[in-house]
Amino acid sequence: MLSDLSRHVRLLLINRDNRRDNSLDASKRKFISICLGGVAALAVAGVAAITYPLFRYYLVPKPAGDSTGKITIPLKDIAAGDATFFEYNGSAAVLVKKQNGGLAALSAVCPHLGCIVQWEKGRQDFLCPCHAGYFTPDGEVISGPPPRALARLPFSVANGIVTIG
Amino acid sequence: MINIFRHIYYWIDVRLGTHEIINEKRTGYLLPRNVNAWYSLGSVLLVIFALQIITGLLLMLYYVPNVDKAFTSVSFIMNEIPLGRLIRLFHAVGSSMMILVLLLHMLSVLFMGSYKSPRELHWLTGFILFLMAMGISLTGYLLPWNQLSFWATTVATDCVSAIPAVGRYLVELLRGGKLVGSHTLGRFYTLHVGLLPATITILIGIHLFLIQRTGVSTPPFGLEDTTNSWKNGKFIYEEHPGGIPFFPNFFLQDMISISLYMACFMALVFFFPNLFIPSTSYMPANPLVTPAHIKPEWYFLANYQTLKLFPSEIIGIIVQVLAMTFLALLPFIDRSPEKHPLKRPLFTFTAITCILLWIGLTGWGFYS
Amino acid sequence: MKWQPVIPVMLVLCIMVLSETYAAGPVIVCIQCHATLTAKLSQPVELWQTSIHAEHGITCNVCHGGDSTDSAQAMSPAKGFRGVPAPTAVPALCGGCHMGVAGHYTNSAHGRALGRGGPTCVTCHGSHDIKSATLDLIGSRNCSKCHTFEKARLIRSAMLKRDTMLMVIEKKIRMLKSQGIETDQMEKRLFALRNRFHAMFHSLDIKLIIMESDHIQAEIEKTNGVGGKDTGPLAGIIAVGWALLLALLFYLIKRNVD
Repeated sequence: MLSDLSRHVRLLLINRDNRRDNSLDASKRKFISICLGGVAALAVAGVAAITYPLFRYYLVPKPAGDSTGKITIPLKDIAAGDATFFEYNGSAAVLVKKQNGGLAALSAVCPHLGCIVQWEKGRQDFLCPCHAGYFTPDGEVISGPPPRALARLPFSVANGIVTIG
Repeated sequence: MINIFRHIYYWIDVRLGTHEIINEKRTGYLLPRNVNAWYSLGSVLLVIFALQIITGLLLMLYYVPNVDKAFTSVSFIMNEIPLGRLIRLFHAVGSSMMILVLLLHMLSVLFMGSYKSPRELHWLTGFILFLMAMGISLTGYLLPWNQLSFWATTVATDCVSAIPAVGRYLVELLRGGKLVGSHTLGRFYTLHVGLLPATITILIGIHLFLIQRTGVSTPPFGLEDTTNSWKNGKFIYEEHPGGIPFFPNFFLQDMISISLYMACFMALVFFFPNLFIPSTSYMPANPLVTPAHIKPEWYFLANYQTLKLFPSEIIGIIVQVLAMTFLALLPFIDRSPEKHPLKRPLFTFTAITCILLWIGLTGWGFYS
Repeated sequence: MKWQPVIPVMLVLCIMVLSETYAAGPVIVCIQCHATLTAKLSQPVELWQTSIHAEHGITCNVCHGGDSTDSAQAMSPAKGFRGVPAPTAVPALCGGCHMGVAGHYTNSAHGRALGRGGPTCVTCHGSHDIKSATLDLIGSRNCSKCHTFEKARLIRSAMLKRDTMLMVIEKKIRMLKSQGIETDQMEKRLFALRNRFHAMFHSLDIKLIIMESDHIQAEIEKTNGVGGKDTGPLAGIIAVGWALLLALLFYLIKRNVD
């Protein structure tokens, strides 16, 4: 197949009209084929060398710099029965201080289709505004289309500061 | 396996008659026997332009055209994104290369007399392309929003203010305000990524169509009779009987020139990037502090120096406008049929003097 | 009357000229006036213009008080003008911004000697032509003004090696920056390090200085590791070689096809 291809390209190259003397001896033809092979190889190599880096360029790069990505929130900043939203790991997250004083750190991204849930202070639950999915303060599904609970985030408390991550 | 390609080729040909066109282009498109490598600069320019578009689009993925974020977004591209630094350098070096190769192309056309009748329109479209290329370089220069770009743009747009009566208004029009600011960035960005590339593409299309329509001009070298063969009467396509087929012969010459250009280009990008991006480019723009040695990019240095030479700015501008107009109308002014540079001494002498003057002014502008 | 248009035109020209002078920055009346006075009163202006304070926009009123935008109020006590500060008031004045240094100084032998022949900030750093502090300030020229240079020499040699390292890093960072590499974090870290180091000197406590020097050394070693993303010339050589090879191949084909 390769020899077929090279014969075709060679014919293309040396195909001229009858006005010119187009007799090339075999060694010249072979040489041209080799050179063409070289060109093809270089072209392929060039494309290959550039494809992967370009692909990486196009992908959204991971934010460098702060490798830990931990978020700290002072406990006293949240009242009991209240929640505060923040960004963690590139997406929305929420820290809830339940009325009994317990804490829950959850992803605020609804597992149904990705809308951001809202905290309803009066009803003490999470509501997803897109399709009325309801979650408990711990993120468990009460009703609605969400297939599973809100993802939990690892957190720790020390000296009145909550560290998520 | 080849059969599949043959089938596809046949399918398209039966519907569009492509075989006829390809055959005609492949064997019927002849170039003069004495065609030389200078004629391949046009295709080099095409490759440069294509590269600028590709790298420009890639840069647009991450660049933010906002005065507070522009500098950091470029810094982000240079530091955080894999290959970002290379893409940015390609784009910056490429813009200078485009002007350089364009100047060489223009010189070769001048010295080989290819601008003469019936090719006045080729020259005119080419000249407009030259102005557009300068414009796209100027607008692009502001986008990184660093000290160099901010102040070079301030100086460049200030020149217009010397025009009496409308000067001040024109400056505000260019800048979108009294000083270079966020509105300047907005309109320069629109020009740079939208209007100018589109216009340049259309003009290139027209330029290429014109060349195909009239046929390639015969270089004056290696011939006894080097006068222009055009007789003013009716349209005649310039045939080159017994000439060189474009494909594959001159196509290969195009490829050689493009490869050599790529070698020079890569050498500059990898080994001398700071020629085009001096260290002042890495300081964010500060409208309150003018750095010590502000000067425009190398291709504007001659213009800049000319303005500084004349005591009155308006005279400096008029002189340059006159010079450019003369250049633009050259095919209408130079009506002699002679094309060989050594056989038209007045033209050659004037041209060399102007080139030396331009180089001198550029050097002066660089060192002052 | 015929000359009336002249005044607004002159005013506009004045404003244009003045605004050119300071490259579109705010006008400082103190400098406007003092620059035109005789040697003794204009010298501070010339000295200040070479200083690091001038570079960072710390103008006369920051230390001397007064209103720098209004000629009438420029030297008014109501606007906080305090004229030439008494020597004993100088450390508190400088310490208003340079708090770390002031802390060390107050607890040092120098600080305790204030008002009894001891040095103030101005003694070593100058008052108007203040430059970024280097180790050269610790020398026989300054220290021998009051006593022998011995102890100062000990402190200086303890600091010399680390200080030189800091300068080397600063140069490296500048070079990286000129290649477009993001150096903000590095510059901030270096600045903090250098400040801490130089502030420490004012305590004159050689043990503390040596301890801090070693600490700085460790930090420097960490910063040293942060290099540029230098791929070396390999990528460039491959790229240029690739293009040249391509040109050669096309040339060979063309020669055989022609």
